[in-house]
Amino acid sequence: MSPLRRTLLRVMVLLLAASGAQTAAAKTLKVGITLHPYYSFVANIVGDRAEIVPLIDADANPHGYAPQPADMIRITSMDVLVVNGIGHDSWAFEILDAAAMRDKLTLIYANDGVSLIPVAGDPSGAKVVNPHTFISTTAAIQQVYLIARRLGELDPENATYFRDNARRYALQIRKLRAEFDAQIVGANLAKFRCATMHSGYDYILQELGLQVTAVIEPRHGVEPTARQLAETIDRIKAADVNVLFAEKYFASKLSDTIREATGVKMYSISHISSGEYTPGKFVEEMRENLTTLATAIKEAGQSG
Amino acid sequence: MTSALPMTEVIKPSGARFEAWVLAAAVVAVLVALTTYVRLQGRENEPAPLYDWQISAFDGLTGADQAIYNSLYTVKDEIPVIYDDINRFNEPGVKFRWPNLQDFEDWLLPPFHRDTSWEQNGSLQWSLHEPLAEGEMQGSTMYLGTDGRSEGQGSFLLIIGHVHAGFTNNNAIVIWWNEKNHVAMPESGFRDQLILQGWREVVAYSGDLEVKRLFGDPAEDAPEQGAENVDGLLEGIFGEQQ
Repeated sequence: MSPLRRTLLRVMVLLLAASGAQTAAAKTLKVGITLHPYYSFVANIVGDRAEIVPLIDADANPHGYAPQPADMIRITSMDVLVVNGIGHDSWAFEILDAAAMRDKLTLIYANDGVSLIPVAGDPSGAKVVNPHTFISTTAAIQQVYLIARRLGELDPENATYFRDNARRYALQIRKLRAEFDAQIVGANLAKFRCATMHSGYDYILQELGLQVTAVIEPRHGVEPTARQLAETIDRIKAADVNVLFAEKYFASKLSDTIREATGVKMYSISHISSGEYTPGKFVEEMRENLTTLATAIKEAGQSG
Repeated sequence: MTSALPMTEVIKPSGARFEAWVLAAAVVAVLVALTTYVRLQGRENEPAPLYDWQISAFDGLTGADQAIYNSLYTVKDEIPVIYDDINRFNEPGVKFRWPNLQDFEDWLLPPFHRDTSWEQNGSLQWSLHEPLAEGEMQGSTMYLGTDGRSEGQGSFLLIIGHVHAGFTNNNAIVIWWNEKNHVAMPESGFRDQLILQGWREVVAYSGDLEVKRLFGDPAEDAPEQGAENVDGLLEGIFGEQQ
């Protein structure tokens, strides 16, 4: 090979290498998510500097979800997957195993840095981890910071951008609490006594300093026995509970039974686990939840 | 000519003994498998072994104290962010400072921010001790919350131990709880002296521990339990720790 041809070949190789490097540098992360709140968290952290891929369809119910073949295709396209990891998206691990991706895909466990609490009102008195950390403000902020840090480790060039976005988003979430406060000025909180259909609202109620008197169905999908239900109704009556929080998207005949037996007023809280994936969904539905809570507090305060 | 002799074959009646043993073994195997599965999947969260000077936030604290601790646990992550915010535009030579109570108010940061949840959780009275000079208070910044109004409420102490002042070998943020409703600001942030005054370090049952329980140890870079090293966070902001 002549020196000229050798030089030309080296230049071509260098140009190709540079082109490849530029392509790699410009490659945006494909961030998978399992639950609606994580879509909002990631969207607000990454802005337009990463692509978000929901693992399951928007209208699928994440409670007891049965994995579908399309999920396996989606999961192979991801660079990283953000998971709840403590019991609310166990189907994601079935999909990981089925697609042979368990050891290949980077996982961000959003709850790594969250101080967990037990499910309230378990009739056995057991201390079982409550996985609903995303129906909250403080625990949500903790997850936002952690996700931003982990994404920054995977994409160091955008780490500062992610962190600044996380900070702004955290303040946006925190301001929801200020809005809630403004709504209950002058309300008589001493009269507020609540029960909940299930344990999904423990984190937000604890953050607001509101105690739960009874939980009808402490574990998702495990309905109380007739005896447990009767005991719960007795407890609600004895404690003079006047508010029952039920799930907005997933109706339960039990809530009607409780309402008829006790006379409590029922309010619906969103689990933030249904409908279209949007960046604003978490803040919008938490704002709606906090407004519902404020209404319940005010109306309980006015009750005789 | 051959003639076939009649043959008689004696067939023993099929006994049920063998099948019964096989069936019993199969039932036992299924029961053992199910019991093991239930124990692995459905067991209660056993408390992690703690020292007697520690207390679990998960099953040791209740009510308002658990809510306050969980807020403080998030504050541990937010303090470096606020530290960045308040020191970002410092002129050269200006001493970097850690957030004070007014900063926490400005950031609407629970459990310090005086909103409804602060009242509902007992209206703890917070005060701050900053080390005025290197070596004073062994280099620790301490936030004390005491005199809560909820029944049976204890007191909290959040300590940032500073490596440059010789307090610790890392910049650790540790949360302590004292069962006494009223306590004075400790004279020292050192562990042994705090323990003598009745303080107990609060240990979270954090998500990484639950993930390990469920899946083994998939998260190699999970944060440590208890003391939170903020070196990494601060280095990301300012390079070498101030």
